[in-house]
Order: sequence, then C-alpha cells, then structure tokens
Amino acid sequence: MKKWVRGIYLPLILLFLYLPIVVLIVQSFNAGVSRARWEGFSLRWYKELFASPQIMRALYVTLSIAVLASIFATILGTLAAIGINSMGKKASSAMLTLTNIPMTMPDIVTGISLMLLFIFTKVSRGYFTMLLAHVTFNTPYVILSVMPKLREMNKYSYEAALDLGATPSYALRHVILPSIFPGITTGALLSFTLSLDDFTISYFTTSPLVQNLSTLIYSEARKGIKPTMNALSALMFVALLILLLVVNRRTSADHK
Amino acid sequence: MEVSNRLIDLQNITKIYGETEVLSDINLYIRKNEFLTLLGPSGCGKTTTLRIIGGFEYPTKGRVIFDGKDITNDPPYKRRVNTVFQKYALFPHLNVYDNIAFGLRIAKMDKKQIALKVGKMLELVNLQGYEKRSVDSLSGGQQQRIAIARALVNEPEVLLLDEPLAALDLKLRKGMQLELKRMQQALGITFVFVTHDQEEALTMSDTIAVMRDGKIHQIDTPKHIYDEPKSAYIANFIGESNIIRGTMIQDELVHFCGQDFVCVDSGFDKNEEVDVLIRPEDLHIVGTDVAQLTGLVKSVLFKGVHYEMIIEAGGFEWKVHSTVMAPEGSQVGLSVIPFDIHIMRVEKEESDPGGEE
Repeated sequence: MKKWVRGIYLPLILLFLYLPIVVLIVQSFNAGVSRARWEGFSLRWYKELFASPQIMRALYVTLSIAVLASIFATILGTLAAIGINSMGKKASSAMLTLTNIPMTMPDIVTGISLMLLFIFTKVSRGYFTMLLAHVTFNTPYVILSVMPKLREMNKYSYEAALDLGATPSYALRHVILPSIFPGITTGALLSFTLSLDDFTISYFTTSPLVQNLSTLIYSEARKGIKPTMNALSALMFVALLILLLVVNRRTSADHK
Repeated sequence: MEVSNRLIDLQNITKIYGETEVLSDINLYIRKNEFLTLLGPSGCGKTTTLRIIGGFEYPTKGRVIFDGKDITNDPPYKRRVNTVFQKYALFPHLNVYDNIAFGLRIAKMDKKQIALKVGKMLELVNLQGYEKRSVDSLSGGQQQRIAIARALVNEPEVLLLDEPLAALDLKLRKGMQLELKRMQQALGITFVFVTHDQEEALTMSDTIAVMRDGKIHQIDTPKHIYDEPKSAYIANFIGESNIIRGTMIQDELVHFCGQDFVCVDSGFDKNEEVDVLIRPEDLHIVGTDVAQLTGLVKSVLFKGVHYEMIIEAGGFEWKVHSTVMAPEGSQVGLSVIPFDIHIMRVEKEESDPGGEE
C-alpha cells in the first residue's frame, strides 16, 4: 500500500500541474474549431497566428518591452547594488529591505498603484507607461541577483585598482563589473523572463490601444477563445520554459 | 636628519571615526630607501596610518607631505605609492599576466614594454612561466608574490605593505621576510611595512615605530628599541623581559630587590620610582659566592638554543635564558652587568602590555 502511494504520488502531482498545458498544446494542433473533438493534426492555427497583424503587433510590444525593460532595469539595478554595497551596514540593510518589498507585493497592488500614479500625474497610459512599470518591477530582481556577487568580491579589489592608478570609473569598468558579470546576466535574463510573463501590471498600466500578448489573450478570451490563442499560448509556454532553464542553469553554475 | 631626506612626512595626523579617535597627533617621517615598520597590537592604528599614506583614508586633522608636496587630499591613483594588501586583493577575473600588467596598461605603456616588464617581475618573484595561470589556482605564497609583483612593476617610490605575510605559514613567512628585504635593497625602494609580529619587525626593518592606542610610543632602530625601550609596554611587546619596580638612588645607582645596583642610566629625579628592565639573556647564572642575587630554580624548560629557567630571587620570579642548565630545585646565584640594567620612566597609567605573538 505504502509503496503504491509512493509510486503514484509524484506522477499525480505532475499530471495535475502539466495536464492543462499538454491539453493546450495538443489543442493548438487540432485542425477543427471545436475544442471537444479531435479533427486531425494541423498547423493551421499557427499559420493564422503569424498572419494576424494584431497578434504580431502584440508580439512586437511584448518583446520590445521585455528587451528595453531588462536593459534599463539591469543598468539601474546594478548601479543600485554597487551603491548599496558600499553603504554602511545599517543603511545598506535598510535599503535592501526597501528594494525587496516590491517583490513581495502582489502584482495587482503594484499594478493599481502604478495606474493611480500615472492618472494622478496625468501621464497618458500606453507603451511608455508600460515600459516604466516593467523597469520598476524588474529592478529589485536585478539588485537581488547582483548583490551576492558584490558580497563575494574581495573588498580591497576596488582599492587595489585605485592603488594601481585606476580612476574610479576605470576601476568600475575593469574590476567591479567583470567580477559581478555573472550576477548581472542572471539579473538581465530574470528581468526578461518576468517581463514576458507579466499580465497584471501590464493590464493596469497600458491603454487598450497598446497591447502585449498577455493582455491581448485576456481581451480575446472574453470574446471566446479562438484556437489561434491556443497556438500563441503554447508558443509562449515553450519560450518561457527555455528561458527559465537557461536562468536556472546559470544560477546553479554560480553557486558552484 | 635633514629635511630634504624626508620622502614622506606625516604632520599632526589625527583620525576620528564617529566618536573614537583612532589616531591622535601622529608625527612621523620616512626617509628615502628606508624600511620602516609600523608595529603594534591590533587596533593600535597602524593600518589606518598606512591607509592614510596610500590615500584610502583621509585624516581628520593634519597633513601628508610627499617629496615636499602636500598630498593630504589626493586620491590613491594620483600618488606615487603602491600597496600590497593583507588579503592580496588580486583580480580573480584576470590571469597572472593581466594582474601584473594592470597598472602598466593604465599608464598606457606599449605592449612590448609591458611584456618585458611583467617578465622581469615574474623573474624577481621567482614565478616564471606562470603568466597564463588563473590567480585562483595559486597557493597563498604564490598569490602573495603576484601581489608584490603587481605593485612593484609600477616602480613606485614607496611600497606600502599591510601585514602581507600574516596569512602564510611560519616557514614560508621566514622565507618571504628575507626575500622582501632582498627586493627592497636591490630595487632601492622605500618600504612601509605594517605588522603585529615583533620578530618580523626586528628582522626586516631599518626603523621601527611602535604604536599603541593611536599614538607612536617609540621610533628607533630595531637594536635601540630592543636594548633601550622607552617603557615597560614596549619592553614587553618587543622580546622577552623581566620588569621590576625600583627606585633611583642617584645617577647610575638603582635600588630593587632590597639592594643597590650600579647601572649606566642617569637623569632621573632622586628617589624617583622607575621600571627596571633586565632581558632574560642578560642574567647570568654564577656561583652563590660571587652573586648579586641568590635564589631557587623553580622550573626549567628546554627551548632548543637555550634553557628557560624561572628563578625566584629577591622576592621576584626572574626569567633567565642560558645555555647552562641549573637543575630544578637548586640554589643558584644571579649576576648582571651594569650595562644590561635598563631604567625606564614609569608610565602614568597602568595598563596591561600587549601580548607576545
């Protein structure tokens, strides 16, 4: 009995976790419109997907926001981490707490508060505000991945560089940045993934005219799900899966 | 000493962190080609002094003069000094060659010359053929040599060394002491060396500055510091010692252990209370008939070169170093020549001396 439970427990969990996604992926290859009947294998929905200007525009928005947001967040987060690291003990732990809070906040709170801020400051919502929002929620994750690398650094490395004639900016470029580079790339990849993944915050900080893939899927779903959305979701899943695998491999390599 | 010989001149340096005064009114000059050691227990301010010379800290008060110019507020990269850090601080993302070439590349030296200089440095520190090695693959001693090479390749006028040998084991440390001294003499560079190891200081230095609680207590040659320490604190910190309270009867006559002893010191007040220092190797075991003090041997330890005996005489336990062994429990005589009795002024505040390492 015990053995039987042990044998079935994990497969059962994995089944519940992944069955919906498997169904989605299988459905994306269904030739028919019906979700209840299998009408044969077809790439029809994938073709329609790439032929739809609306979806292609959303894909462009998603990717460009992810790229730009991760670039800005990486620059901001790295500089912030370097600053925090060279603060005194008390100030640095206070700052870290401040930068960690947004990560624990529910997305809906972040999203609504950003929306209120944009309304209050009379910034019309669209591509720019969505980008700002993404930079905002990505930056703490970059700080989080760069910080351990900075802590690992010999604290005299920077001084040694100055001692050898380096100006502070030369030391930053030739000593500090190369030493923490693994942390920076991890942070950038993480930002990119989070940005691709985000729905809630994007939903509140953009206008209906500028949609990324997740907000588009949401508004389409309200009208009834088209099979193209299955194909789109399946593609997003695979893309995110690959990215996550890369990030995980990097982080585990860092810990060695 | 002529002023022109002073390469570095620290004038009235005071450093305050928050409420603690780490350095109080330090005055110190370092001559060209001198090997100067800042010696003291941890927390005495020796590292802070070095960091002020290097430009990593700025004094709260006072000035740093380098070769006649005021460099008090110059950043490290504008100073003609280089530092060997305690934990080496090599750049882990660069190989041995690039570590050593770091400063030369900043100075925009051409590639051929860099290669030539790096090669010469590796030869100097005995690590030829290590150019392509990653610094993480090196042993502590090898990393230390690379750190020294990385600093020396820039041909600084002064090399600052912050306890550079502290992380090495005893045998390696002894070897590096000799090597550093050899390099300093061969290159004619001024060394400022920080250590808490009195033996290291005595072996390597031209001049030792003994520091305590943010002040310089005595600055002198190793021999003078050993033979004529200014206070019981320094006597205890440098070498082993017997220190006993006594009274100055008159010039060149001191009273302790219930007896008068002829000595060579003068200039004290009549009946002034003084500390009397007699090094363990200066007490001689003699026959009781010719002895100045007689006493009982309480313990005997064999130390290799000599025996260390504790002899109770005149109400004091004397530490005696001698190649002649007197058996435990025996009655012996002790004598000391006037020249080896050293009289010191009593320090105002009584505090426990720094331990011997």
